[in-house]
Amino acid sequence: MMSNTRYKLHWITALIESLKTVKEAILPLVVLIFANGLNKNPGTGLWYVDYLSFLIFTVLIISLLVTGIIKWKRFEYWFEDDELRIESGLFVKKKRYIPFERIQSLDYTEGILHRPLKLVKVKVETAGGASGKAEAELTAITRDAARQVEEALAEAKRRKKGMGTEEGFIEETIEEGPKTSAIFKMSTKELLILATMSGRIGFIFSGVAIFLSQFAELIPFEWMYNEFFAIIKFGLLIISIIVLIGLFIVWLVSVGIAFLSYYQFTVLLDETDIVITRGLLEKKRVTVPLNRVQSVRVIQNPVKQLFGYATVVIDSAGGSGAEMAKINLFPLVKKDKVQQLLTRIFPDLNVSEPTKKLPRRSRHFYYRIDFLWMVPIIGLLTYFFFPYGMYSVLIVPVIVLFGLWQHRSAAFQVSGNQLTLRFRNFSLQTAYLLKKRIQSMEMKQNYFHKRKKVATIGATVKSGAAFYNPQVHHMDQKDAEAILVWYEPNVKNEQAQFIQETSEA
Amino acid sequence: MRAQPINRISKKGLTVWRLYGAIQTVIVLLLAVGAGVVTYIFEGPWWIYGIAAVIVILYAYFFIVLFPKVRWMRWRYEVRESEIELQHGIFIVKRTLIPMVRVQHVDTSQGPILRKYHLAEISISTAATNHTIPALMTAEADELRNRISILARVAEDDV
Repeated sequence: MMSNTRYKLHWITALIESLKTVKEAILPLVVLIFANGLNKNPGTGLWYVDYLSFLIFTVLIISLLVTGIIKWKRFEYWFEDDELRIESGLFVKKKRYIPFERIQSLDYTEGILHRPLKLVKVKVETAGGASGKAEAELTAITRDAARQVEEALAEAKRRKKGMGTEEGFIEETIEEGPKTSAIFKMSTKELLILATMSGRIGFIFSGVAIFLSQFAELIPFEWMYNEFFAIIKFGLLIISIIVLIGLFIVWLVSVGIAFLSYYQFTVLLDETDIVITRGLLEKKRVTVPLNRVQSVRVIQNPVKQLFGYATVVIDSAGGSGAEMAKINLFPLVKKDKVQQLLTRIFPDLNVSEPTKKLPRRSRHFYYRIDFLWMVPIIGLLTYFFFPYGMYSVLIVPVIVLFGLWQHRSAAFQVSGNQLTLRFRNFSLQTAYLLKKRIQSMEMKQNYFHKRKKVATIGATVKSGAAFYNPQVHHMDQKDAEAILVWYEPNVKNEQAQFIQETSEA
Repeated sequence: MRAQPINRISKKGLTVWRLYGAIQTVIVLLLAVGAGVVTYIFEGPWWIYGIAAVIVILYAYFFIVLFPKVRWMRWRYEVRESEIELQHGIFIVKRTLIPMVRVQHVDTSQGPILRKYHLAEISISTAATNHTIPALMTAEADELRNRISILARVAEDDV
């Protein structure tokens, strides 16, 4: 059985804690250093006055280190009564007992300081972690110690299951150890593509800059500022070159960051959890319990769509912070593989494309409203910059075509207990939602919708402490109402379903 | 066509909204008077008085007469055994469906103006969303809150 040995963290914790405090107090420290540097007046003869800021600085650093060391010395954790117990605190002794069954997952991070010493940081995530902070954090422990925590947790869960039902006990004896299978591993090629695309905003801007510098001649500067023509044109060239170089550097940096953080991105699946590992300098391991997954979405921006790639994101109910709520399950994956991969993780989910489209009569809703801002803007541009301002009329076909594209992209489907919504804002998004995960549904109609018998339908699911609200705009009113009826949990519906299920079996 | 939810909110809610509208109109009126005074001092053009007056009159009409009325006419709710349905919105009519199983807690609250008219509002929270029924008689609101809380407890999670 479990012994109540108390464990300590690795000594590097002291250093990490100190560095963390330094990071938080970086501003006053910088001010202090500057004050020291600017203090150039002749010495007063008293050494402790001349070097006052230097002294303060030294004292601060030492006290930070000492605090770190005491924090590390005082931190203890152990297992007792199916609980993870932690005792910590410098002046106020804090005790925290976390029952094993409340622990949702253990997430590992290996920072630069951890790597050479083969250590990990363990974050303990609980179900109630909506406050935005992990319940507990073991700043640095050896990998063996981490495995020990994991085993203690697994053992407690197994014991509980065994007590619960006899069947569970038998099952447990048949299965030996946790079964894990690799689901997804991002190839180097995909990693490079992802990293390249992640800098896409900078890339687009550089494209615009190139465009501008190429076509500066065509823009009617001559007419606009006749006398400043030469200066402005020259200035524009210089500025666009500088901007281009700047954006290129920003882009390179973002590519580098993406490369480092998504290096060796792997998704594993054990019986109850999805385990995601990634990172080169800082290795991360995130565990998402399957029963906490609220929705699955497949996202394709136009560029990814062109090359047949997609991103798959899942929303988790638990977890601390935004990073843990919206999780990149597959940051970049071939679209034609998505269905097969997702079916392996979520066997109950129907991951096919939704089939029901929107009626023709709702097409104009996707662009008509845009005339509200287009007409005045075109009018103003034409008035003030006649005749070149008239070229702004060209925006009309772009907006209309984009609206038609949105209309064509939108689709939905109800299959059993699942609702699938596909829609395009700029990127194409397909949301797979189970009825039991939808918190509420809303149907919206304005006056014009009513006249044409169309409506907008939206579902809300939990995503961390916030929510995710996918909507299909301007669909047939009958379909929207049918979805509401499908969502209504009335007794008759359930009986019908039950009959259907039993007859199928 | 899907049938509308059957219950309306209290008629006094309309009065309260008109009161809110009146308060806002007074603020707009003060701003308009301010603009008028400035125009008078700096001898601005006469049409500024006209525009200010029109704005105040339109504001009063929309926010004291028209919008509260449409809003009140539109607001409907229904609490059934297994779900709550709401309908509201002036320009865009929103119909919301909240299953009892998803309801996490129900609150009633009343500010000073609502209290004066013996009204209260109910807010229904799910794990992700928040919904409000704006003006019910206090007794009615309390009863409804209790009923929703009982129904939410009884409703069992399906699937």
